[in-house]
Amino acid sequence: MFELRKGIFLDELRNISVRIGEIVEEEEWEEAGPTPKPGIIDLREWDHKLLERYEPFYAPVQDFCNLCTMGPCDLSFNKKGACGIDLRAAKARLVTIACCIGASAHTAHARHLVDHLIEEFGEDLRIDLGGDVNVEAPVIRTVVGIKPKTLGDLKKALEWAEKEIVKVLHSTHIGNEESIIDYESKAMHVSMADHVGMEVADIAQIVAFGFPKAKPDTDLVPTGFGIVDVKKPVIVVVGHNVMYSRPIIDYLEKEGRLDEFEIAGLCCTAHDMTRYNSKAKIFGPISYQLRVIRAGLPDVLVSDEQCIRADLVDACSKMGIPLIATSDAAVRGLLNVSDWEVKDIVEALVSGKLKGVFLPIPEKVGVVAPLVAKAIFEKSKDKKYKFFPSDEELKAEISKCTQCMSCVFTCPHNLRIDQGMALAQKTGDLSKLAVLEEHCLACGKCEQVCPKGIRIVNVIMRSNFEKLYNKTGKTRVGRGPIQDTEIRKVGQPIVFGQIPGVIAAVGCINFPDEMKSIVEILEEFLRRRYIVVTSGCHAMDIGMIKDEEGKTLYEKYPGNFDAGCIVNVGSCVSNAHIAGAAIKIANIFAMRPLRGNYAEIADYILNRVGAVGFSWGPYSHKAASIATGFNRLGVPVVVGPHGMKYRRAYIGKPWKREKWWVYDIKSGQKVFIEPAPDSLLVAVETKEEAIVQLARLCIRPNDTAMGRQIKLTHYIELSKKYYGDLPDDWHLYVRSEADLPLRMREELLRILEEQHGWKIDWDKKKILEGPIRGYDAGFNPTIVEKVFAKYRR
Amino acid sequence: MISKEEKFPVAKRYNVADIQVSREATAVKPAVVANLIKKASNPVLITGGTLLKDPKLVEIAVKFYEKGIPVIATGGSSKPLIERGVKPLFKTFTLHQITQFLLDEDFKINGKKVDLAVFLGFLPYYLSRMLSALKHFSEIKTIAIDEFYHPHASFSFTNLTKDRELYYSMLEELITKL
Ligand code: SF4
Ligand code: SF4
Repeated sequence: MFELRKGIFLDELRNISVRIGEIVEEEEWEEAGPTPKPGIIDLREWDHKLLERYEPFYAPVQDFCNLCTMGPCDLSFNKKGACGIDLRAAKARLVTIACCIGASAHTAHARHLVDHLIEEFGEDLRIDLGGDVNVEAPVIRTVVGIKPKTLGDLKKALEWAEKEIVKVLHSTHIGNEESIIDYESKAMHVSMADHVGMEVADIAQIVAFGFPKAKPDTDLVPTGFGIVDVKKPVIVVVGHNVMYSRPIIDYLEKEGRLDEFEIAGLCCTAHDMTRYNSKAKIFGPISYQLRVIRAGLPDVLVSDEQCIRADLVDACSKMGIPLIATSDAAVRGLLNVSDWEVKDIVEALVSGKLKGVFLPIPEKVGVVAPLVAKAIFEKSKDKKYKFFPSDEELKAEISKCTQCMSCVFTCPHNLRIDQGMALAQKTGDLSKLAVLEEHCLACGKCEQVCPKGIRIVNVIMRSNFEKLYNKTGKTRVGRGPIQDTEIRKVGQPIVFGQIPGVIAAVGCINFPDEMKSIVEILEEFLRRRYIVVTSGCHAMDIGMIKDEEGKTLYEKYPGNFDAGCIVNVGSCVSNAHIAGAAIKIANIFAMRPLRGNYAEIADYILNRVGAVGFSWGPYSHKAASIATGFNRLGVPVVVGPHGMKYRRAYIGKPWKREKWWVYDIKSGQKVFIEPAPDSLLVAVETKEEAIVQLARLCIRPNDTAMGRQIKLTHYIELSKKYYGDLPDDWHLYVRSEADLPLRMREELLRILEEQHGWKIDWDKKKILEGPIRGYDAGFNPTIVEKVFAKYRR
Repeated sequence: MISKEEKFPVAKRYNVADIQVSREATAVKPAVVANLIKKASNPVLITGGTLLKDPKLVEIAVKFYEKGIPVIATGGSSKPLIERGVKPLFKTFTLHQITQFLLDEDFKINGKKVDLAVFLGFLPYYLSRMLSALKHFSEIKTIAIDEFYHPHASFSFTNLTKDRELYYSMLEELITKL
């Protein structure tokens, strides 16, 4: 923090703005851009530009609104409710609320962390992300307009985010916004705040907890259901904020007993435990919670916040597993034992007097959890990895089924439990039940409706036990940010298109297909030398799926941010580093200033950086805000079919020529362009469709001829492979013959001539007439007038 | 329309919680679907990813095409269809994108606005949302001929999940009556 010295000269005050009660340092690290600490309307113009092209699309789940007491209102066929809101705006409001929830989750997580860490390490703990990261906090720099140097500085970014989240949430109160475009602009705004919240949280934990700092070759950690040694007490941590469970490792290390225990996690706390100490292991995502609990694996379970089941007390107590809830986000009706002595807490939990406790003191959790785990383990040693005590009990359970199908019509995937049960009843063959495991989310909804009270989840898991147990592999520990040196190397090939794209596989497990589908999709791109980045649940699923040689993608492809490599950045909050990498390309490669310069940076990314987000199984609100935040930054996102249920998408209409234009800074002209990318948020149904969409959405107006040729080659090859033919729209992306895939050039020229009426000079094999625009090596696109004016000068 | 006497399964929603208040799809028999298609001025068949798993659905879509109904293939369903000689109007766009296009007044197929869209071979929850969008924000009639009853469609087959043979026979009957 800057301090006023005695006798300071006016001259020295040049870079300091003084507010009453506060002295704020504003070091001239970069020229300030137009929108530091933006309010709701400061980037509205940018959003309107995006939404003019990428028109919001709404798919209501319900026809009515019941948010206020004038309702419920029937809004079907876009009718208005009592407050005047119509169905579209009501859905826009709902998505805005979802994004507010997502942004709040990450930002509150960041707040918990920063306050706690400042207490532990002080405000002045320096932000040092390692020698290869000099542009640290690119999101905060770009959005908030500050360059944080210490934990204390992160608080300033956090304060801005918190303020904006409250303001946007306010706008969702009855009777406010009526324009869908302005609602979407608010959803984008709060989602941009989400990215700031994520960046604050991850930087704070990296510097305070000593997580890996942009290291490509981090350790590989065991991942999957079958990872724990049943001869050791098992401590299971679940949630998204590692702050509460980290001291478990400290305590056991101090005691020299870390190797006597198994510490394994579910969801992002698992990632962050392994980032803290790679002796920790990863069970899996939220869909593994019931798998792990019902299999009796934990001797104690420590929960914190976010994507955790809301019935943990019930689920754990049925299995005799003591629960320690730690975050005030999920107190679970449990007694607050913060003031109790450790021995009393342990006694209450081990004796079963209390099913669980609320203990928000991390240091105490660190001691209590191992003591409880050890005692419970000693009490019941051979309960692990059993869904039924005996095969007879399994058989008895299956025999209860009457094939009423209530479960089928409640299951998110309409899994044919009835058929599996019927075959098992008739022949004893469990195979039809076993295949369900590969798709089952272990959500437990089927059990809620089964009139016979069958423990369907246990039946399914038991039926596929061998495969489930062996669905284990290795995850590369989350590395955090991307190095500046890596950006220097790949920035140009990405912007020019020689690296055909960056695929960022991010998010949850609500897959439409077997878990291995995520690996099949991503490997297609790794083989084609795209850069693949991942985080969160996707990153741990990848760590479970092995090839014939027993290797996961992490073992087959390096962890660098480079062509043909796969980078695990870490937990949900580490997603900020993916946005940060795109921003750093604009900054480090193209020298665009970041400070409070959001629209220019997003415009740069939209037109030049062929990065696409991919969430194969999105379900959380956080996924909504992460995706929407990427969208505002100019990064399209493809979601799996469950992503439809967010209700809103941003889909352009490539056949509307007038929608697709840019200003060319070089020529000073407004130029009609190819629709690249043509959607900002779109849901796909199958893995085949995911692959082709991802490839096509990597195309950018700024691609060089070489880059476009490479991108088109992949797009065309993948379309032929998965769709059986050339894409419908490939010709839209052709600016000159140099854009055409070399091996197909003649064939494609002929199609352009015959089917699209283009004029071809066959002697020179040149296109004479036809493309939307010609190729110009100096083409310099923008859709922002101010950027155009700035660089035309 | 399906009368109780004919002993069709009840029109149970593909997901009991996919509820709505305003209008629930009319459960219809194949003959009604055939009539609706015949009466439409510009109908299309839109196919989805289930065709990659169920050859019977491919066969049905091919027959639609042979009866002169244009096909929009999504989700990769173009691959088996093209192999069987179908030339889909579109194959690159997702159902999500196609629905966005259909909602646009300016979107024409063969020079005309689509007035009837028939859906075959989709994940039910994915299709349901698109049917909802079309129901609320367009005049287009929608018919779901998947094995699931789709409440958001204008017309839907009833729930045939329990009886696959009945489902296939209904698809065949629809084709013969086209
Ligand atoms: S637990 Fe599995 S089978 Fe049961 S409803 Fe959920 S996803 Fe379906
Ligand atoms: S709800 Fe229960 S009884 Fe009915 S089919 Fe499913 S498992 Fe069998």
